[in-house]
Amino acid sequence: MKTSDLYDLKDTLTRDQILICFAGPFSHSIIEELGAAVKHYLQAEQVTKSSLMSVFSIFIEQSQNIKRYTERKAAEGKETFFSGGIVVIGREGEHYIVCSGNYVEEGDIEETAARIDSLKELDPQQLKAAYKEQMRKELQPGQSAGLGLIDMARSASAPLQYTLKKTEDQRCFFSLKAII
Amino acid sequence: MEILHIEGTRSTPEIHFDPVDRVLRIAGESYPENSFAFYQPLQAWIAEFLSENSGAVVLNIGLSYLNTGSTKCLLDILDLFEEAFVTGRDITVDWHCDRDNDRAVEAAEEFAEEVTMPFNIIPINEFP
Repeated sequence: MKTSDLYDLKDTLTRDQILICFAGPFSHSIIEELGAAVKHYLQAEQVTKSSLMSVFSIFIEQSQNIKRYTERKAAEGKETFFSGGIVVIGREGEHYIVCSGNYVEEGDIEETAARIDSLKELDPQQLKAAYKEQMRKELQPGQSAGLGLIDMARSASAPLQYTLKKTEDQRCFFSLKAII
Repeated sequence: MEILHIEGTRSTPEIHFDPVDRVLRIAGESYPENSFAFYQPLQAWIAEFLSENSGAVVLNIGLSYLNTGSTKCLLDILDLFEEAFVTGRDITVDWHCDRDNDRAVEAAEEFAEEVTMPFNIIPINEFP
């Protein structure tokens, strides 16, 4: 990378009103550190406590999802193929946005994509009902609570958006966007 | 049984349970690296305590943030106490939350809806 490219990168981030961006391998301590940075930034901006909590909680759910997925792939011996991801917190008009992206296996993401599509149809009361139903489901050891997407949908002010971009090496890049 | 004490960290709450005064205190933020691994020892401790001791218990909870994994674990913990409550034990939940944070108050209400034991939502100013 040429040093001048960093200017272009920073310029892009500024133009797109990106406040915080991290790309690389997600560790728990990085998630804690970025979470603290998000909070400090939003407190300085004097956003309401519930908006701050929405941004923070969506950031935590997205980052922990990527970290867990990477760990799952590592356990299957596919670590280098799927390691790392990106998370972005920014502004879009009057709203804050939290976006994340990571490489996934196409077969792994179909259920998630279908889930996001089905959540789009639900109003806040229905989302609450879906959350409560999921909260009461019995889990197998090691299984995730499955509440993350519903929780994000409840924290967001618009339906969650995602894109799937197929790469030549048979991976998919999954991007998720929440508008608060 | 001995006093249970777990120091809080940035992503895990402080937990304190004295079997003599029978107050379980959980305070802080909760988004552990692995929620189930973090809460499992507490669940085991509570289950043992409830089987050995029959006194009244107060749950003093002040969680300013819970991720979804922690929410599920907390619900499992409340269920353990609820089970004891429906068999006649005196159990009270005092759930503290920031009065200015609508989402935190709403989350407290949703926990309260899951149980029949006395569940006091205590909105406070200036949540620590």
